Amino acid sequence: MSTISIENVTKQFGETLAVDALSFDVQPGEIFGLLGPNGAGKTTCIRMILDIFQPDSGEISVLGGKMTDEKKNRIGYLPEERGLYQDIPLERCLTFLATLKGMPEKSIGPQLTEYLNQFDLCHVRDKKVKELSKGMQQKAQLISTLVHDPDLIIIDEPFTALDPVNTEMVKDILEEKRDQGKAIIMSTHQMNQVEELCDRILLIDHGHRVLYGTLQEIQTKFASRDILITPRSPLPSTIDGVMEVRELNGRFLLALEESAEPHQILKNLINQGIELTAFEIAVPPLNEIFIQVVKIQERGKYD
Amino acid sequence: MTKIWQIIKYEYSRHVFNKRFLFSLLSLPILVVVMVLVTITIALFSTDTSPVGYIDHSGILSEPKPIEIDDSIFNPAIDFVLYKAVPHAQQDLEAEIIQAYYIIPEGFPQQRDIELFFLDSPSSSAQSQFRQLMLQNLDTFQGLDPQVQERLQEGSMLTIEALDGSREMREDQWFVVFIPLIAGLMFIIVVMTSGGYLLQAVVEEKENRTMEIVITSVTPTQLMIGKTIGNIGVGLTLLIVWLVFALIGVVVGGQFWPFLQDISIPTHYFVVMILVFLPAFIMVAAIMSTIGAIMTEMQEAQQISGLFSLLITIPFYFFQPLMENPNGFLAILLSYFPLTAPITIPMRMAFTTVPTWEIMLNIIILVVFASCAVWLSGRAFRMGMLQYGKKLAFKDIFRKHEAA
Repeated sequence: MSTISIENVTKQFGETLAVDALSFDVQPGEIFGLLGPNGAGKTTCIRMILDIFQPDSGEISVLGGKMTDEKKNRIGYLPEERGLYQDIPLERCLTFLATLKGMPEKSIGPQLTEYLNQFDLCHVRDKKVKELSKGMQQKAQLISTLVHDPDLIIIDEPFTALDPVNTEMVKDILEEKRDQGKAIIMSTHQMNQVEELCDRILLIDHGHRVLYGTLQEIQTKFASRDILITPRSPLPSTIDGVMEVRELNGRFLLALEESAEPHQILKNLINQGIELTAFEIAVPPLNEIFIQVVKIQERGKYD
Repeated sequence: MTKIWQIIKYEYSRHVFNKRFLFSLLSLPILVVVMVLVTITIALFSTDTSPVGYIDHSGILSEPKPIEIDDSIFNPAIDFVLYKAVPHAQQDLEAEIIQAYYIIPEGFPQQRDIELFFLDSPSSSAQSQFRQLMLQNLDTFQGLDPQVQERLQEGSMLTIEALDGSREMREDQWFVVFIPLIAGLMFIIVVMTSGGYLLQAVVEEKENRTMEIVITSVTPTQLMIGKTIGNIGVGLTLLIVWLVFALIGVVVGGQFWPFLQDISIPTHYFVVMILVFLPAFIMVAAIMSTIGAIMTEMQEAQQISGLFSLLITIPFYFFQPLMENPNGFLAILLSYFPLTAPITIPMRMAFTTVPTWEIMLNIIILVVFASCAVWLSGRAFRMGMLQYGKKLAFKDIFRKHEAA
């Protein structure tokens, strides 16, 4: 059973069509990347999943049906607009937010202490939230998203304001949650993080679906006829079937001729006595795919 | 329900267990206690308790029957000293052994004329006790029935009664005038405290951007119910604590000021106050949360809410005309206007008999207005809650709703 299933959902604000006949699903045990340029309709889409907005048409099923009070307790949400109660001590703030997620007060303490330790916030638990640094507040916000052990985690730009060490830790936590069978929707503009973490992605623009599938499927779809190799010995000036050779940080990108196939090139290189430590089909980075797709959409809009 | 309870607990405890609140909670009772103590101290030091002399040519006080005095700091028992001759009394007056002396002439029973000599005006206690002493020792007084004697000692008591017997006003119940004032003042303090905190709670929710997290855990209705009850609880705590202090004050003060022991609030008056104040509380709370949902900054929200506070207090500015003409056009107008009704209705009831149908109509108008205000606040809240940093136009509240 899908954790989230969205069928043909449309939402309009006045004259603006925020989400247009959108369909997708999110499975348990996957990290799902919800991507799109600013104003694409990601937040509206998340708010409809969370029952903050009602769709004008279409069906939304969350954790097996319509949203209920009980289901709200099984969702952890880190919104784009971060917010914690500023004038109260951190621990009290997180405890209050956890009680609103239906956690019994007695069980909050140990769970919260564990997370505070993990995020290195134990020493500031009695400090007022407003006295904490931006990074600390971001970590606190992540704790409030995760402390009640939700089955569905929706996180918007989770790595903002985090240093590399904490970024790695959060990534580990997200992977751990995925392995536990939780469904995670991650919305971010950091494409490298998407490449590292996401199993499937959905790219939306102007409210409708542009790309949808596994990362591999999408990258393969956008792959050019290029090969990336790491040779041990210098490359000859010409290689049969290769139009152009470009060096990229100690590796070489070979642009193939129209008729050439990658396995032929590999054969040619070996025949020419070139020792290789790596040979792979060059896959375009997600960042490039994102820019390319969004530009195509923009052109389509104005043509 | 548990979640509403959690919100109530959070809202209540974050204000009540706060130094600032404790200060405002105790400041009024402390101020009153200090004022009472100052009054008592002044009374203690300013009341002259030295004896009063008299020279009796009439023989009325030759062997006086002493008067019974409830000795208190405001009315200390004064000793009266008999002098044979004026020079002796004059000498003691100048030596400040006595505070004054009376000369009772021989023909006093007929002339009713008496002379008083003093350097500084003698205390009112000394004068009233001497008058009592004289009255009690007059032959005509002695011959009267003990009940008549008692009535004469107590003096007159004027009671005004309505022809249909619906109301009466006794001379010693002058404090009835103060009940609507005190009740109105209490209402304003509680409403402003609760309303202010509620306004702060809603605006902070937007300022802190916590709204989006909270409404994914509870419904906007649960959130608003929790916030409203929690913050009204703060105001009521203030009211209850002050009422307890007032009760203690009445009990303790009753030892010194006997009229305090006679204070009582008629049951029907009390019931009407509750029926008026309850919808008024809800109405003000709803107005405050509407302002909170529309505005983006606390300062701005406070300015707008200040205008409403001003409207609520209008009857106080018209206290005199309302007292003089409690069934006049102004009084009726103010009691039909929902924001001024909570103070005007109890005020009119203290000064006149307001027809029951009119009170009921005023209460119905208040309930209808409060319901509309709650509906409006619900819409404003849903529309404005996710508009961070953006002010919600008033007309937007009436637009076809887009939020859940």
